[in-house]
Amino acid sequence: MTQQHFNQTPRRRAEFIKPPNTIKAKVGSGGLAEEILDRAQRLLENNTVDFLPLAEIYLSALQQGIHIAKHAEADADQEYVISTMIYPAMQLKANGGMFHYPLVTALADRLIQFLEVIEEADLGAVEIVLAFHTSIRAVVVGRVTGSGGVQGVELQMALEQACTRYFDKNPDNINPEATRVTDWE
Amino acid sequence: MLDLAKSIMLTFGVQNVYCAKHGEEGFRMFCEYNPDIVISDWMMKPMDGISLTRRIRNDAKSPNKFVPVILMTGFSERRRVFQARDAGVTEFLVKPFNARDLYRRLAQVIERPRQFVRADDFFGPDRRRKRMTGYDGPLRRDTDVRPEDYLRNLADRDMKDNDS
Repeated sequence: MTQQHFNQTPRRRAEFIKPPNTIKAKVGSGGLAEEILDRAQRLLENNTVDFLPLAEIYLSALQQGIHIAKHAEADADQEYVISTMIYPAMQLKANGGMFHYPLVTALADRLIQFLEVIEEADLGAVEIVLAFHTSIRAVVVGRVTGSGGVQGVELQMALEQACTRYFDKNPDNINPEATRVTDWE
Repeated sequence: MLDLAKSIMLTFGVQNVYCAKHGEEGFRMFCEYNPDIVISDWMMKPMDGISLTRRIRNDAKSPNKFVPVILMTGFSERRRVFQARDAGVTEFLVKPFNARDLYRRLAQVIERPRQFVRADDFFGPDRRRKRMTGYDGPLRRDTDVRPEDYLRNLADRDMKDNDS
């Protein structure tokens, strides 16, 4: 009989399965040549997709999220309220860099970091999101492809400082568990 | 984005690339064509990439519950990664990405496939990939050894093998 200790977490039964690696059998051994990877990279870099219409959709969704946050009731589900702003911000971050607007990606990334950390979208937080929205919109409408040079750096710094000032004023509105990773091992 | 991803896959030499605009269409096509790898975006409507992955892993109609799923997303925050992992995603590709990033994920699922785990509340790729180090809690089994002892035992064994 298995001995059960009173304070021991019950063991979870798990079955481990090793599926057949049929893809490996199909592709064989050896990787892709550097030349093929370079060609694929050039394809990415030289794509002529116009980001503006796509960005307008996400910016409009972000504007809607800001509206929801501004008019949310006191007992509103904050996770939902914040998600209405996070999702379009994520799309801007993901697609900006893919379509020659790395500055949009950098700004949206900073916005996501801000939104992932706050626990409540209070008025101060909404003002910050609005500032990001205005800046990203200016970059897209002004067709500022690339990093935006010195002005791009200054814009990022100004928005980062706004976030820092917000957290200095609202130290309790931080989710302590919010950390980021880029992959899991 | 869909066209771009398709073009890259074709450049990599993939022969058949099937495209769907959202998770529902994706699952329908997955059932029809039973592809070797699924690459999905997170944000899609009406069905997103997380729900698509759950269906692939758990739906009775799924033709291959073990298929590797690579999820593309702009999210990189820990809880989002865990959310994707717990849905049964095999690899996570943060956007914007370059061709080599995508290639690395493809190589990973082919060269280092994860074993699968079936538990009461989870079915999907094993969520652990590397050996746990730094554990200093109690050893509960006769076979348990501390990481430093494990390495020392390996070194001792190698020395014995060399001597003999």
